[in-house]
Order: sequence, then structure tokens, then C-alpha cells
Amino acid sequence: MKRNLILSAFAVAFSIFLLTSCSKDTTTIPDPTIGYLKLASGYAAGSATKVEIFATDSAFTGYNKFYIALTDSITGAFIENAQITLTPTMTMPMMSHSAPKENPSSTNAVDKLFPCSVSFIMASMSGTWTLAVNVQNLVNNKTGTVTFTINVKDPSLAKMFSFVSLADNTTKFFVGFIPPTKPIVGINDFEFVVYKKQTMMMFPADSSLNVSFIPTMPTMGHSSPNNVNPVYIGNGHYKGKVNFTMTGLWRMSMTFNAGTTLSDSTHYFDFNF
Amino acid sequence: MNKLLLISTCIILTITSFAQKIKIISANDSVPFIQLNEVTVKGLIKNQDQQIKDFIIANKAATTEDILARFPEINMIRRGSYGTEPLIRTYNTGQVNVLIDGMRIHGACTDKMDPATIYVEPQNLQNIQVNTKHGTQSGSCIGGTIDLKLVEPDSETTNQLSGYISSGYQTAAKSFYETGMLNYTKKRWSIRTNISYRKASDYKSGGGITIPYSSYEKINYGISAKYLLNNQYSIKADILMDDGWNIGYPALPMDVGYAAARIAAISLIKEKSNTKWFGTEYKIYANSIYHLMDDTHRKNVAMHMDMPGHSKTFGGYMNTNLQLSSKQNIHFRADISSTDLMASMTMYQNNQSPMFMLTWPDNRSIQSGLSATYKNYIDSITTITLSTRIDQFINSLKTQAAKDQLSILQEPTETISKTLKNISVELSHYINPHLKGFVVASYAERMPTASELYGFYLFNAFDNFDYIGNTLLKKENALKADLGVVYTKPKLQLSFSVFASKVNNYILGIYDPTYSTMTIGAQGVKLYRNIPYAQMTGLEAGIISKLTNNVQLISTFKYNYGRDHYNNPLPLIAPFKNITSLKKQIKNWSFQFETETAAAQNRVSVDAKENTTNGFFIANTRSSYSGILYKKAYRIDVGVENIFDKAYKEHLDWGNINRPGRNIYIQISFAF
Repeated sequence: MKRNLILSAFAVAFSIFLLTSCSKDTTTIPDPTIGYLKLASGYAAGSATKVEIFATDSAFTGYNKFYIALTDSITGAFIENAQITLTPTMTMPMMSHSAPKENPSSTNAVDKLFPCSVSFIMASMSGTWTLAVNVQNLVNNKTGTVTFTINVKDPSLAKMFSFVSLADNTTKFFVGFIPPTKPIVGINDFEFVVYKKQTMMMFPADSSLNVSFIPTMPTMGHSSPNNVNPVYIGNGHYKGKVNFTMTGLWRMSMTFNAGTTLSDSTHYFDFNF
Repeated sequence: MNKLLLISTCIILTITSFAQKIKIISANDSVPFIQLNEVTVKGLIKNQDQQIKDFIIANKAATTEDILARFPEINMIRRGSYGTEPLIRTYNTGQVNVLIDGMRIHGACTDKMDPATIYVEPQNLQNIQVNTKHGTQSGSCIGGTIDLKLVEPDSETTNQLSGYISSGYQTAAKSFYETGMLNYTKKRWSIRTNISYRKASDYKSGGGITIPYSSYEKINYGISAKYLLNNQYSIKADILMDDGWNIGYPALPMDVGYAAARIAAISLIKEKSNTKWFGTEYKIYANSIYHLMDDTHRKNVAMHMDMPGHSKTFGGYMNTNLQLSSKQNIHFRADISSTDLMASMTMYQNNQSPMFMLTWPDNRSIQSGLSATYKNYIDSITTITLSTRIDQFINSLKTQAAKDQLSILQEPTETISKTLKNISVELSHYINPHLKGFVVASYAERMPTASELYGFYLFNAFDNFDYIGNTLLKKENALKADLGVVYTKPKLQLSFSVFASKVNNYILGIYDPTYSTMTIGAQGVKLYRNIPYAQMTGLEAGIISKLTNNVQLISTFKYNYGRDHYNNPLPLIAPFKNITSLKKQIKNWSFQFETETAAAQNRVSVDAKENTTNGFFIANTRSSYSGILYKKAYRIDVGVENIFDKAYKEHLDWGNINRPGRNIYIQISFAF
């Protein structure tokens, strides 16, 4: 009798376990693109791959973080193994040029998406921005390219500036702000990218600058204590800490030095939260 | 030997964290314990205490803070015509405990606009206990305790229904004070309810200059009920509420738009007892304060801002006494409380998000303490009192946002836990039948305040600096000594007491030029730091003399002195002051002439940008008539304060703003 009871209890427990694990299996996989804005989509001809570009915001002048979703053009299944190369191009009546970019750092997707970036150095006003996405689908081993037209607008608060270094009067740098994704009244990451203009088509990451900055609230006139100057962390990225003592509009006034020689101290990033 | 054994047992007990608390002792022998529930006209007892009471409550329309200001041990920081902040001697707010009927209550204003005393009207009060000698009994502190005892419903009155109404007007601020009380008693029940209303316009200072932003309006109402459970036990409930609107603070850049206090308590009291245990009281309480600063009435505001603050306290305590022998007793107290504070600031500017920050990042302070006071009447002329207390404080930040914000300061945001120990010994002795002397030695500790720990760019209009808290602050500790004599003859009482203390780890704001100010127009930022020590000393003296059968003289003197470890003067130290009152009683009439004299204060703190203050002399007259109309008592009080309309200010008045000029008042009271 007692054994029966234990057995039946065990059976009940086991069936509950089965049922719950079943229900887990049947739940739909959350869409990895939820919360993002789709900027473009198309087929990379020859690779049997659909390419979609997602971002948190529409394209703007500055450092744009993109998330590329690749799906099989027939089954619609996510392709999580691919080599992606980006080629942004600005075409104007008299000339064309490229822009700094970061290809996905790995051939493996992160949560089914390929993070990458393009730093548009101007708006689509006097020309047209295109973004060519070359996909080497490592699942079916096919390769193709799709080219999107991207409409780039100047944001209300500038997120990128450029300057010619005072140190040599020739080198032109582009600096793109990567605002904190979840800003708090407290300590925030202060991150930006620096690219050097080598040719019209080549904008390599630059690690040569020493950076200091002062955050202030322009309408209040005060600063904040204990900020940490950004240092180079790789791939053109510089990272430090900015302390926001309240919400509102903050201005990070930047000073760049080449060694100890002043390179530029006339630019700033504004951030409103 | 037995006695010795007892004492040492007691010491051991107390050291191992037994606790003690308040006997109802007078503050200081110079000013005995003041009964206040006589705003009414009935039953005026004409004894010496009554004279002192009349001296302290000079003006029948006085507020609680006006009354406190008359105590020689108390100095008031004044920022406006209402909401002055009581200090004991040279000790600042953080060093003094202000309790309402034994309950802890914390103002909800980061700028100290609302000391607890603002939420209590004199008609709520039974008495005020100012305890400087064993001021740590009801909470670890180094400066002493002010306890505002709430009045109880009267169960011994002959009338089932009794009460009074009183109405008055004062010219300086064109202010009204209306108040009324009803008391009902039947069988085991007694219930008392009261209300008072004050409304004042901007007052005129000496010379007729109107002080802008000094008006205020408030209403205070409450009910308390007492029920006798049996011969021994009674139960009492108190509810006290206070609402204020548009309270002006001319010395500050902002006023108070609205402030509300809600105070509630339930007590179980065992008054009579056949055992060795007596005077036992259990109480649980809760209070909440909401405080809204406002700048909408100010001209030329650079940026409009909202600054709400909220304070919530829950707590409970138990008091009891143990009669060890006919000559020895111990008073015990155990208490626990939890206080939550939060305050924020939001500023508005076009084309950007509202600028929001926490000025008191949400924080909680949990306090639990035990105290014991052992009293031994060794013989008819010598008494020894040993008073000890231990407190445990746990202070923490309640939200991630609070921690995030304070992490900017690169100080720990973890929970702070501190144990505080206090001990004092008093020996009092009759040197001869007329001359009593006492000596008190004590060691006291206090917890840093919420502003000192967590304050985030709190603007201090006194020195025009922003203040930032410091979670690494050490507790202050003080070595204190009090010495005094009281000489009593039938028609004369002279009292004199002197105190000295050394406060180690004294908490002070220290200027740090690397910080930039938050407040527009502020001169800089000060960070709370422990300086090695500060030294303070001072004295109080009093004369009560019956010159003739119906002429009485009362005069009080006080002097305070404070310096830091560099020998620099401490800020906000009141200079020498004397109040002298001469009163003559002719049948139903009483006439009083009064002078207030203060010396100049030229010892000022340079670091605090403190200004020197001139001395002053003002004179007041007061008179009253008590009569009977239709078998009911009535009383009329008329007086003139600052007769010569002097333009004057006290040293602790902020913002170089003069006090009221000539003020004629009349208050008519009627009891039934």
C-alpha cells in the first residue's frame, strides 16, 4: 500500500515534469529583432540569403550600431554562420567616398544577429549613401552581395565631429559618440570611436590620441566630479567614465592630444536624457 | 558593601548593554521643567513654577519655537519667521535629539526648514523637557535632548465637557492666532481635541521695513483619547496633524509651498503599581512628513525647481522603573525606530529633459537602543546618578538609483552599521541647606545625520556652499563635563552652571575646490569630513527673586564659546544674552516689563563666511487681566514687543535679515 502510494506519487511527479518540459518545447522562440527598427532588407543575390539591417534608431550622422539578420531565402531560418563585409559609399555628383565601419567581429551570430557598425560621416543631403553587404553564407557556402540605400540624417544633437589635428595640420580625425544605452544619474560608460581619414575610401581606426574631457550642464554651468578620462580599448574605441549628477542636457567638452601636443580642444558631444 | 555591589552590578549590566532612560528630570536646575498646558486661563496656580512658565511663555500667542527660544540652554537658527531650528548650547542639529513625546521624528526638508518643533503647537504640549545632563537617555546624542511632551486628555476635571477658545492679533506681521480646545470625560473615557490656526503676512522689521517672503499660514489639529482599562492600566491614542502653506523663508532662495505632518501613537501606561516596577509605558508610533519647497512666488528665479521631500518613521519604546530600595531606583528604556527619507529636485529648462536628481537618495536608518539610569539617594544630601545607553544604527540606501547616484562620489554605498555607547555620572550634593552643587561627567557618541552621510549637493544658504555627504564619516564622540550650583532661599533662587566639552571627529563641511557647484550662484562645494576635534564651553545663570509680595524678577544669562582644532571659531555660536523680566501683580492685573540684551558676536568662522553681528537691546511690556464673566473665566493679554522699534538681529539669524520691529499684540481667551 505504502509502496503504491510512493509509486503513484512518483508517477504524478514524473508526468508533471514531462508536461512542463513539453510545454517548454512548444513555446515559440522569441524574435531576436524585437525592439529594433528595420532599416533595410533585400536578397544577397547568389547566396540564397535574405539580409535585413536592424538598428535602435534610423540612420544618422555618426556611429550607427547595426544588427544584421540573415535568413535562408527559402526556409526563413536564421543563418548564424556567415562572413559579412560592409562597404558604405557616399555618391555625390562630383565625387564619392566611403565611411568608417566595423564588420561583424565574428562569423558566428550573437543571439542570431550579426552586430556591426557604420559611421556615416555626413548626412544624405548632397548625395546618396549606399551600404553594400557582402555575405558569405557559411551554411550553404554561397556568396552574394546586396546594396541598400540608406537615408542618413543629422541628429538634433550632433553625435560625430571631425577635426584636423593641430599637431601636424594634416591628419583628419572623425570622432563618433556611442551614447550610454541605459543612462543613469550615476556613473556611466563614456565611449566613442576615433577614425583617421587615410584616403577617400580608407578610414582606419586610430589609437594615437590621448583624451581628456569635462562634462558640464550648459544650462546650469556645473560639472561633475570623479570622471575617468577615456583610454583606447581597441578597434578605434575609447572608453572612460562620465558621471551625470542629474538628468538633463550634458555636454562633454573634449581635448585630444597627440602625445603631449594639443591636437584639438574645440569640440564636444551633447547628451540629453 | 551591598550598595557597592549593586553599583558595580549595575555598571556591569549597563556596560553589557543594558539600558536606561529618562526620569522626568528637569533640564537643568536653572530652569525647571516647564508645564505648558496652561495656555488656558483656568486654574492658574500662583507659585514659582507658574512664574517661570509665564516667563517662558511670555506671549500667549507664542509658537513652540518662540517658547523654546526663551530657554537659556537653547539657541535658535532663524531662516524665516517660522520654522526656526532649535540648538542646545553650542551643539548643532545633528548633535541634538528632538523628540515629540518620546517619538523620533525627522524633518522632510534637506535644507532644515522643518525641524520637528514646527509641527507641534504649544496647545499640544504638556511640557517641554530639555535635558543637557543626561541627554542621551532617549537616544545617543552629544548635545542633549528636547522632548516635547504631548498633553493628555484631562480626566479629573469636574465638567464633563470643558474647553477654551482664544483669539488674537499681532501687528508686526498682521497675524492672527486662533485656537480652541475641547475636553470630554465620562467614566473611564477622556478625550481631548484641539485646533489652532495661524496666518501671518510679511512682517515689518524695526524701522518699518517689510521683510518680503516672511508670511505663512498653518493649521494644527489633533485628538487624543485615554481609556482607563482598570485600576492600573490605561491606554492612550494620539493623533496630531499639521498643515502649512506658503511658509516664507526670506533667508533662503526658496519657500515652502506645502508641508504636512501626520503623527500617531498608541500607548499603554501602567501608572500605579504595587510591585517594585512602576511608571511603565509601552508606545508604538508612526509619523510621516511631506514637504514641498517652492520658488514660484520669488522674483527673478534663474530656473524653476521642485523640491519635494518625504520622511516616514515607525517606532516603539518601553519605559519602566525599578525601585531597588527606598533610596535606589533604575529607569530602563528600550526603543527601536526606522526612518525612511527621500528628497529630490527637478529643474525645468526648455529644449531639454527635466533635470532630476535625488538630494537625499532614498535611505533608511534603523535604530535600536537600550538605556538604564541608576539613581542612588545615598543620604539626604547626596545623590549619585549613573546613566548609560547603547544604540545600534543600521543605515542603508534603499534603491539602486540611490546607490548609482552616490557611487559618483566614489564612496562605499553599502549598509553602514555602527554601535554607539553613552555613559554619564552625576553627583549632586547639598553643600549646605541652601546651596546645592552638582557635577556631571559624560562620554557620548552620535551617528552622522542622513544629510551628512548621503546629502547630494545640498545648498546651505548660510555660507552659500553646496554640501555633499560622506558615507565614510566616523561617529562623533564627546567628553563632557557640567558643573553647577543652585542657591535657594524662600525669596531668592540663584543658579549657575558651566559646561565644557571636547567633540572628537567633529563633523564639518570642508571646502573642496575640485568640485563644481550645483546651485547657481553658490561659492563652492563642501564635503562633510571629520575634523580631529572641536572644543566648546559656555555657561547659563538664572535669578528668580521675589522682590516684594507681588513683584518678581526673573533674569537668565547665557554665554557660549566654540573653537575647532586650529583654534578657529566654530560657526553659529550665539553670543552672550540676557533676558530680564520684572513682573508686578495687582489683583487681577499683571504687568511685566522685559528686556533682551545680546552682546555682539565678533568671533566668527571665516571658513563658513560668517558675518559678525552687532549687539542689541530691546524692551517689551506685557500685561494681562483675568476675570470672570457668567461664571466662566476669561483672560486678556496685551503687550508691546520691541517697544522702541529697534532694527536688530540675533547672531544665529541667517541672511542678514532683521527681526520684527514693534509688535503690539492682543489675545483674548475664554474658558468653559
